[in-house]
Amino acid sequence: MDEAIVEAAPVEPVDGAGRSPARRRRSNPLRAARSGLGGITAVGVKELRGRARGRRAFVVLTFYLLFLGLFAWAWELVAERTYVQNASLQGGSAAFASAQVGQEVFGALILIETLLVVFLAPAFTSGAISLEREKQTLDMLAATPISSLAIVVGKLFSALAYVFLLIAASIPLTAIVFVFGGVGPDDVLRAYTVLIVSAIGLGALGLFISALMQRTQGATVVTFFAVLFLSLGTMFGVLFWNTMAGVNRGGLVAAQGVGPIRGTAPEALLWFNPFAAEYDVICGASDGYGGWCSRLNTVTNGAISVTGYSGGGVLPTPQAGFGVDNSGGGVIAPVPAIPAAPVKILPDGTVVAIDNPGAQVPFATADPQPFGVRRDTFWPRSLRAWAILSLVLVVASIQLVSPTRRWRWLRRPALGAR
Amino acid sequence: MTDIVVTRGLVKRYPGTVAVAGLDLAVAEGEIYGLVGPNGAGKTTTLRILATLLTATSGQAEVAGIDVRRNPDAARRVLGFMPDVFGVYDDMKVWEYLDFFARCYGIPGARRRRMIGDLLELVDLGDKRDAYVQSLSRGMQQRLCLAHTLVHDPQVLLLDEPASGLDPRARVELRELLRELRSLGKTIVISSHILPELEELCTAVAIVDHGQVLTQGKVADIERQLRFGAVLRIAILGDGDAIEAARAHLEGDHRVASATVLDGGVIEVGFRGDDEAAAELLAAAIAAGIRVASFARAASDLEELFLQVTSAGEPAQGRVA
Repeated sequence: MDEAIVEAAPVEPVDGAGRSPARRRRSNPLRAARSGLGGITAVGVKELRGRARGRRAFVVLTFYLLFLGLFAWAWELVAERTYVQNASLQGGSAAFASAQVGQEVFGALILIETLLVVFLAPAFTSGAISLEREKQTLDMLAATPISSLAIVVGKLFSALAYVFLLIAASIPLTAIVFVFGGVGPDDVLRAYTVLIVSAIGLGALGLFISALMQRTQGATVVTFFAVLFLSLGTMFGVLFWNTMAGVNRGGLVAAQGVGPIRGTAPEALLWFNPFAAEYDVICGASDGYGGWCSRLNTVTNGAISVTGYSGGGVLPTPQAGFGVDNSGGGVIAPVPAIPAAPVKILPDGTVVAIDNPGAQVPFATADPQPFGVRRDTFWPRSLRAWAILSLVLVVASIQLVSPTRRWRWLRRPALGAR
Repeated sequence: MTDIVVTRGLVKRYPGTVAVAGLDLAVAEGEIYGLVGPNGAGKTTTLRILATLLTATSGQAEVAGIDVRRNPDAARRVLGFMPDVFGVYDDMKVWEYLDFFARCYGIPGARRRRMIGDLLELVDLGDKRDAYVQSLSRGMQQRLCLAHTLVHDPQVLLLDEPASGLDPRARVELRELLRELRSLGKTIVISSHILPELEELCTAVAIVDHGQVLTQGKVADIERQLRFGAVLRIAILGDGDAIEAARAHLEGDHRVASATVLDGGVIEVGFRGDDEAAAELLAAAIAAGIRVASFARAASDLEELFLQVTSAGEPAQGRVA
């Protein structure tokens, strides 16, 4: 990949001072873009050369695939055994059983890969800038005409390249779920889209912290805690919120709440949880009824639920997405007729609007939704949030890397170059 | 000859301190120019402003007629900068190191390959092309780092303490290399806190302290200026009485500020005078029958000299608080 890549802007003879400003301006945008691209290539090639050096990268890849394969196999056995032993699941056809196993394996593989991304992507980027700063190579780099944008973007994608390689290498393994059924190619596509966007977002987070902190050690620690907060902290936040607000138990104790903690937790709390979006995709693949959906429900004692229905059929509660707002989001949109106004449930079971306690709110029973309809609500929002955050973090990193801290996107090429 | 590196009233203020306080420099084209001063004098700050890595609080800095503040990108293309602690990348071969920086300057592939070969020959690393950067000796790394500043054939080289931490042999090699670069038409600005390090190398120096230029000019002139007010170490043969007598004699000279007996029959003399005066002092001592075994200037360290130069009522304004 050495020489074939786009060459940077052609450099010009030393007449920069003499050239008319008008001509300079006219030729700028294209040149600027090309020189930016050249800079990204320069950083990318350098980083990739270092990373792909020696056997290590390939040994790691091999062991990773072996581990992933073993895990998928083990989970398949677990799923089969569960199906056989669980009387409530029996009675379906062989195809149903197979689909159940497929969905189980799919969920297990995707969650493991998410775990991998959550650990590796920030780990690879959290030293990217601070290491250069420690070695003073950042100064040497900044004294060249390469743009800060090129440094940051080049670093980000070359650091993520290996993560992407690991993700891509797992695709054939994940495709094993098609043998069992129950998971469509679109589900796999969704899962991998979420994986890649999360990897970019988490990578950008690590990079930003790396650009912010002077020392790599500090950057690594801060990144670790940031990731811990995003994956466990946010989940606990929702768990806490929903429990305090009494959202679980089918909403029977709803509208208790403490201070501002009322109703279901805001969905945005989980947007940056890398597991949440993936969980939404996994659960969606089983239409909200799979083992993975009920597992989270069990672990959090119903405070975080992605099942279509909860509370033993007392009432269809607006448990959209992760027990979040009632905008119909989440895995399943079970109740299209959910009232828009906040409601509370009186002891006798009637539901009234909080704004207008006199009026009874009509509740429609859940309309069974056709497969795949209105599923894709939570994870696209999560991805959108990640995309915006990544952009913000990259721009902030560019500012931190730029030696003179001025807003500078692309460096003007040539001009008095030789 | 025109001035290729110029600063006018350059000021860099940090919260609570002034690193550069109105520094004026004029480096003529083709010079090897030394910035000399004690640690914290503002040499590195000045170089970093010139290298577009810092923006000055006020004042002007130009390289090859380009204002480094207004047009940093253009300036970067005419200068090469080597930081005092230069970094090497791990897992990188020598040619890849240069290739990387050449890419940063947007140099096309074919020219890059040719240029890398030439540069490695120039810095005498031709046989290390495929060696890993971290396996090179410090002197070699230094030369490689110097080579990286040359990939875009700049007119001006800014080298921050290039000779620090080098063994004498590497230093000689560096000197040869810099002379060769000068013959190729480069203007080189070097910083150092050790004057002798620069005296064989530079064509001109500026003495910098507290962010200001105390004096600038040819090395020999500066040194003569500095030596006016030096420390002499005179070794005397004889017993304690003879040494004490010698001390008393030396102290009798009006140019001697102090005379202290050190171990081993050495007398340290604080002396105000040029070489001429020192020769007279020696002649007088010998005439007085003092058996002088050696007679030498002790202060070769610039900072020691500085203490004397600056204590003689040098810049009152512009001092770091």
